[in-house]
Amino acid sequence: MDLLPTTEQEEIAAAARSFLAKELPESRIRQLADEEMNVDAPVWSAVAQLGWFALGLPEDLGGVGYGLPEEVMLFREIGRHLAPGPFASTALAARVAARAGDAALASEIVEGMPVGLALAGDGTEPVVGPRVSGRLTIADAMGAGLVLVAVPGGCALVETTALSGLTALPCIDETTRLADAEAYEVAAVAYVPTEVDDVFRRGVLFGAAMLTGIAEAARDSAVEHAKVRLQFGQPIGSYQAVKHPCADMAVRAEAAASQLFFAAVSAETGRPDAAFQASASKIVASDAARRNAAANVQIHGGMGFSFEQHAHLYVKRAQVLAHAFGTPSFHLAAALEGVPAA
Amino acid sequence: MREFDVNWLKERFVSGWGGIAWPVEYGGRGLSLTQQLIWYEEYAHLGLPGIDSTFVGISHAGPTLIARATEEQKAHHLPKILCGDAVWCQGFSEPEAGSDLASLRTRAEVDGDELVVTGQKIWTSFADLADFQELLVRTDPEAPRHKGITWVICDMHYPGIDIRPIRTMDGGSHFAEVFYDEVRIPLTNVVGRIDEGWSVAMSTLSFERGTAFTASQVALADCVEWLIEEARRRPAPCGSRPAIHDEEVARRLSRLRADIAALRAMTYASISRNARTPIPGPEGSMLKLHYSDLHQELGRLSMDVLGLDGLKLAPQDHFDWVHDFLLGFSSSIGGGTSEIQRNIIGERVLGLPR
Repeated sequence: MDLLPTTEQEEIAAAARSFLAKELPESRIRQLADEEMNVDAPVWSAVAQLGWFALGLPEDLGGVGYGLPEEVMLFREIGRHLAPGPFASTALAARVAARAGDAALASEIVEGMPVGLALAGDGTEPVVGPRVSGRLTIADAMGAGLVLVAVPGGCALVETTALSGLTALPCIDETTRLADAEAYEVAAVAYVPTEVDDVFRRGVLFGAAMLTGIAEAARDSAVEHAKVRLQFGQPIGSYQAVKHPCADMAVRAEAAASQLFFAAVSAETGRPDAAFQASASKIVASDAARRNAAANVQIHGGMGFSFEQHAHLYVKRAQVLAHAFGTPSFHLAAALEGVPAA
Repeated sequence: MREFDVNWLKERFVSGWGGIAWPVEYGGRGLSLTQQLIWYEEYAHLGLPGIDSTFVGISHAGPTLIARATEEQKAHHLPKILCGDAVWCQGFSEPEAGSDLASLRTRAEVDGDELVVTGQKIWTSFADLADFQELLVRTDPEAPRHKGITWVICDMHYPGIDIRPIRTMDGGSHFAEVFYDEVRIPLTNVVGRIDEGWSVAMSTLSFERGTAFTASQVALADCVEWLIEEARRRPAPCGSRPAIHDEEVARRLSRLRADIAALRAMTYASISRNARTPIPGPEGSMLKLHYSDLHQELGRLSMDVLGLDGLKLAPQDHFDWVHDFLLGFSSSIGGGTSEIQRNIIGERVLGLPR
């Protein structure tokens, strides 16, 4: 067994990284925060062309044919870069449509139709099946024709227009579009139960991957600053009061990344404890992202609290993602029930 | 203790389980670190005894010799380490050289074809049971701190060595102070070159932090499962429900189970990395630091689950939680304190200024 990425996997990540750095610089991400749509249309169709929404889909379903390990490498870069838009739910929606047998819808999504994401609630889980009911808090629904509702038992796609009382809400994360809505017995456009394909678990790992990317980006940002910021005549990173929190950030990021790869390989190879490994990945990555983002604000001092500096963007996106594909409480409960580590 | 450890090691050696990842020419199986890890995992599942006094020889003196010793030294020592004929101990720390290891003062003067050693070491595990010691001495007191240090093999039966056990907070006394009074060691026992022992010591420490704790790391995964079992059987801290139904206990157990899963994944990643480089890099400090933190959280949580039984010094069922809780305090000190690990991570992994 080799848990380090292969050269090919590294290349997928490197290509995604350089694309995002070029096409979605921080200035553009900040502009998108103020626009009606947080999706940059030319970027969105370019990533569709690159196959980002079909990366893990089998070739006979119109996909690129890679697996979960490659997908988590991609989503880690998306998280690291704070790319705004419903990347994860769109890729998962293509899978739901394909598995449900709607090849036309699948290819429409793969070619660039954004799909919003219903976030898991606390104790107010929607009922998901061929019909969907319940209160939904949706990320990036505005401008999206469809919403993915993902729960452990299965995943459904519903039309945004079929939802009642869709109301846009200001979001803690300026680069995420948030809305509340209700579904009353809405007929799903496509529905895939977990026995057919565990799309929810895939989502858990996409979420963990983006959170891992944030944990790493926050670490790098803090370390970069600690090397150049001078106080008392020295770089602040030479002081243990700053160096040691940076070391702790490195440990948290390393733990999150290692567990992410292990959980992805576990799901891909059907290990009996794959569900536990996925929940553990989400727990560890949520914690790493949120604590590293907080430490990054602290290490930036006053500027870290400013709107101008980007430290707050990590805090906010991590907060949203911690609630995507199962809240922290959901995964803590699940990880205690899961199959013991073999 | 020594007899048990050595006999148990011999038993494993004879059955072919001695040095799974050790080179074939020194009595090992020549298999991969991954296969070594599988052995450790199966070993931990069965709750078999720790390798205690044979740890230093197998896990860091041996690997250091494999990486840095001459063919003659290897041929002489490695087979004996592996079959249990020679027990090793470590002689690095001194009373005035703890975290600041490079300030060590135990003096060695060259006299003909011998080194004459005078000074003191401390925190040597199993010194009274050992045959050999990986000993760091100062051979050139005029040179800068990191120069002038030599890594030498010291036979613990040489005249002039005095060993005094140290009683520790867990009730044990396997640590000792070692005093050297003009101990004469042949120059042929020097590993690496004279005055160039610091880099050999760094190899030893990278094994100690990188791969030596693999067995303990994987054992932690079994400990958390046993603690979950305890929490299912025992009543909650306040009330008659099983402890696992206590919301705080349940969350901490779940959190720890997830963190320990990630520690194991880090171990796998590190083994994958080590398969590409013969000597572990500074990344090993991340594993060591995380392991210490999780070992201590396991200890705190076990005391909460055990309640009043945690005050009683009798072995609890098949695992001695009280002893492990107390032993946990040494996790963040031995093998380099957590503060030193954070310095290493900050400076050598992240590139922060010293």
